[in-house]
Amino acid sequence: MPAAGEVALWSDHSLDRSVGALYVHVPFCKSKCAYCDFSSRATSADDPLLAEYARAIEAQLEAFADVGLLDRSDTAYVGGGTPSRLGPALPPLVETIRRLCSPSELSCEANPESLDGALARSLARAGASRISLGVQSTCDVELRALGRAHDAAEALAAVSRARDAGLTVSCDLMCATPEQTDESWDRSVSDVIAAGADHVSVYPLAIEEGTAFGRRFGDDAQPWNDEDVQARRMKIAREILASCGFARYEVASYARPGCRCAHNIAYWTGVPYLGVGTAAAGMLTRRGYERLRLACPQLPDAPGGVVRIRLTVRSDARQIAGDPRTEALLFDGEFLSEEQAAAEDLMLGARLVDGVSPALLGHARDVFGPSRLDDTLESVLGSGLAVLEDGRLRPTESGWLLGNELYGSLWSLSSGEVTSFSA
Amino acid sequence: MANNDTSHIRNFSIVAHIDHGKSTISDRILELTHTVERRDLASQMLDSMEIERERGITIKSNAVRVVYTADNGEDYQFNLIDTPGHVDFTYEVSRSLAACEGAVLVVDATQGVEAQTVSNASLAMNANLDIVPAINKIDLPSAHPDEVKAEIEEDLAIPADDAVLVSGKTGEGIHDLLESIVYLVSPPKGDANAPLKALILDSYFDEYRGVVATVRVFDGVMRAGKSMRMMALGDTFLCDGVGVKRPLETPLDELGVGEVGYVVTGLKDPALVKTGDTITLVDDPCAEPCPGYHEAKPMVFTGLFPIDNKQYENLRDALEKLKVNDPSLTWDPETSVALGFGFRVGFLGLLHMEVVKERLEREFNLDLIATSPSVNYHVFKTDGSMIEITSPQDMPEVTRIDHIEEPYLKAKVIVPPEFMGAVMQLAIDHRGITQDMVYLSEKSVEMHFDMPLAELILDFFDQLKSRTKGYASLDYELSDYRSSDLVKLDILLSGDEVDALSFIVHKDKAYELARRLCDKLKEIIPRQQFEVPIQGAIGNKIISRSTVKAHRKDVLAKCYGGDISRKRKLLEKQKEGKKRMKSIGSVEVPQEAFLAVLKVDDDK
Repeated sequence: MPAAGEVALWSDHSLDRSVGALYVHVPFCKSKCAYCDFSSRATSADDPLLAEYARAIEAQLEAFADVGLLDRSDTAYVGGGTPSRLGPALPPLVETIRRLCSPSELSCEANPESLDGALARSLARAGASRISLGVQSTCDVELRALGRAHDAAEALAAVSRARDAGLTVSCDLMCATPEQTDESWDRSVSDVIAAGADHVSVYPLAIEEGTAFGRRFGDDAQPWNDEDVQARRMKIAREILASCGFARYEVASYARPGCRCAHNIAYWTGVPYLGVGTAAAGMLTRRGYERLRLACPQLPDAPGGVVRIRLTVRSDARQIAGDPRTEALLFDGEFLSEEQAAAEDLMLGARLVDGVSPALLGHARDVFGPSRLDDTLESVLGSGLAVLEDGRLRPTESGWLLGNELYGSLWSLSSGEVTSFSA
Repeated sequence: MANNDTSHIRNFSIVAHIDHGKSTISDRILELTHTVERRDLASQMLDSMEIERERGITIKSNAVRVVYTADNGEDYQFNLIDTPGHVDFTYEVSRSLAACEGAVLVVDATQGVEAQTVSNASLAMNANLDIVPAINKIDLPSAHPDEVKAEIEEDLAIPADDAVLVSGKTGEGIHDLLESIVYLVSPPKGDANAPLKALILDSYFDEYRGVVATVRVFDGVMRAGKSMRMMALGDTFLCDGVGVKRPLETPLDELGVGEVGYVVTGLKDPALVKTGDTITLVDDPCAEPCPGYHEAKPMVFTGLFPIDNKQYENLRDALEKLKVNDPSLTWDPETSVALGFGFRVGFLGLLHMEVVKERLEREFNLDLIATSPSVNYHVFKTDGSMIEITSPQDMPEVTRIDHIEEPYLKAKVIVPPEFMGAVMQLAIDHRGITQDMVYLSEKSVEMHFDMPLAELILDFFDQLKSRTKGYASLDYELSDYRSSDLVKLDILLSGDEVDALSFIVHKDKAYELARRLCDKLKEIIPRQQFEVPIQGAIGNKIISRSTVKAHRKDVLAKCYGGDISRKRKLLEKQKEGKKRMKSIGSVEVPQEAFLAVLKVDDDK
């Protein structure tokens, strides 16, 4: 078992584990940001739905624990939306997770406007070890353009409050946004480091359908979101972070030593995870899925040949709060074959600095046959997207930037379409 | 003696600006004459092809017979002839109109006279048809029929006092329209006892009966069992049957003089039955065929290549299947270094090309690349010989060329006088030479140009329509071949010539076109992992250049638990997108790049 914060090696035995990580989704925010396509909605702080939802999720967690799904969850992550929007209802939820899973890492997302010192301290007492803060920028003009509910001063104060509470602090920053310049981006990155962040995630803004930006800009190219601008800003961030002792370990993730996010690493290394709450995503092995069906008999049998099941909760917050029984949950799901699961793991491993492990390459060789795997490796090595070092397939700088080329080649190893279902 | 009485026959077509209600009026006529019950009416009954209905255009001609019992108590035979609606099919239109004595001109009571009203009315008047004006959509609150009547009189010089007020939607006035057709459209003239003379309007292939032709009998009588001859092409056949569409085929004993119907030829080769040809009897032929026949020759040639070369045979089979009902299609095998094996296909015009390409892709599930359209050039070599080429690839080396001749046409444009300047400028831009112009009325001028066909096929028609707000009508016929200073413009990607992107162009336009083409290709070709220079060249001389910058970043950076399925779907989509591109060397080129020359004017 890898220690928290270290990159887990992909290994076959992760297939035997029913669930290695727990994700809980909280779909509430103070207001909806202009770029956001996550499942969330603006909810008033005194809406009784907040507490009802939190209690319903706790009840579901108990039910999943009863069928043994949470026995070996090493990490847990409460994301959103804005979990801190739950206010006083959040620490009891965190406490329940700690009691049921005893995770070695327990992260909670928060937005600056709803993380006061008291909440930070009670989260720490309840068992949270990390806070992931949606800072995005430390430039007020940019924050306003993004439709964020906080300003720069609040964001930096929230970093201090979380640190003072003894939590490991991660900050999300967003580049290639309206009004941003190279200089203002430099300052945002530098500001969160100076404020004491232990971990920084940087990602370029994507204009998504169904968001305010999507409606405003459509498919028209925006100069501030140009791919050259994105590439340049990602490079600026890398340079500043590297000079301050942050090591990149994934496309968009940088950490001080010992501060990597084990939960996110689980996503990229084939560790099965359970998603609880509206729109939460899970990935289970056959064994984990069979256990889940004890709590959710509405789920269909996995057909033969399926080794991996991906699930998303379709029930909305009101449905869950109104009827917390796990038997009543609605799901969308996908059944993946051994080839599809292996191709996914290769594609996800290629996001990591440590790359694809020898164990996974060996497994892929068995699944796809040596010639198919070698042809693909040859093509990604030949085009300079990756290198083989010490038996690991690692992305090069151009493999970072042209990620979709690299991931696309690896995903193309799989055959057939992924089967989807709804229940 | 055969029956010479044609007094109860009316042959007419319905013409209108788009969306003025031609189809609903046709439907109401079928309904009111009990030809089709309302519940059986598929909308736009007469346009049967899927693409026709989708694009709202008619490609094939069609004729339906209805029987109308008039207020005077007598039965009239109406033959409603639907005509194609695009300049590519000018010849087909002229043949269909030649089969009519009248035309119902439909004008929208809320919109009034519009561009195609003018151009279609001109075509009908040129064919000496009796015009029955009908003002449609009078049920709408915004209808202003009196003003529309005035417009018809002023703009079209057509008396509109008796224009019929109708509503295709409610059926109001349709009865009056049918009465007007009885009284305003002349009955056909002809001699039932003269030798058979029947004009072919169109034809289609039937697996069991061979080619079935739609015909108008001008003289004599057409009966099954007689030996007949195509006067232009010379082939003979034994007539297997005649009949009419109502709208389903209904066999009859004979088609009498003045009537429109179908004839079953039994011929297995669609190429033997041509629109405009005349059918007569082998034993008792008529002296003169119907006037106006010429073979519809392909004017535009493009390369059609399957993106996946394994589909080559499928493409050949598909072309053969389409030709059965579209005898004007021609093709020869063509090989391209860049695109592999394909065909050089001849079309009547660009719309015809688009429709055929779309049908090939949709009905036969092919992914195709079409290359830039070309005309048939006569290349005179220094050794005194002449070759005909329809593809830039066949152009000999410059040193072996003495001179090149290209096809010219005589174009006739009818347009309101305020657009004369715009049309003249457009003609000059397209190397046209104005011959003369004649005022037809205060509101319309007929202009004559000589112009290279190559200029017409690119974008002339679209530009003409847009610069005259749609008011111009265009008619043209090929005239002769003339010597022109033409060069072959080559396009190089990453330094390598791509044969499928070459284009033949007038020397004076080559530099401008090369620059615009390079810019357009830069927009079309997506960024690759490396920089891609695009160059335009004549011979060894580079005359333009642009660069597709290297891809810098395409990663969707965040990829947490819930993003993984979405990421995978994105990669699947990326893979699908690549299937629609052609790898040329190491450059991925999208399909539309090969037709970029048609789009260089989009941004003007």
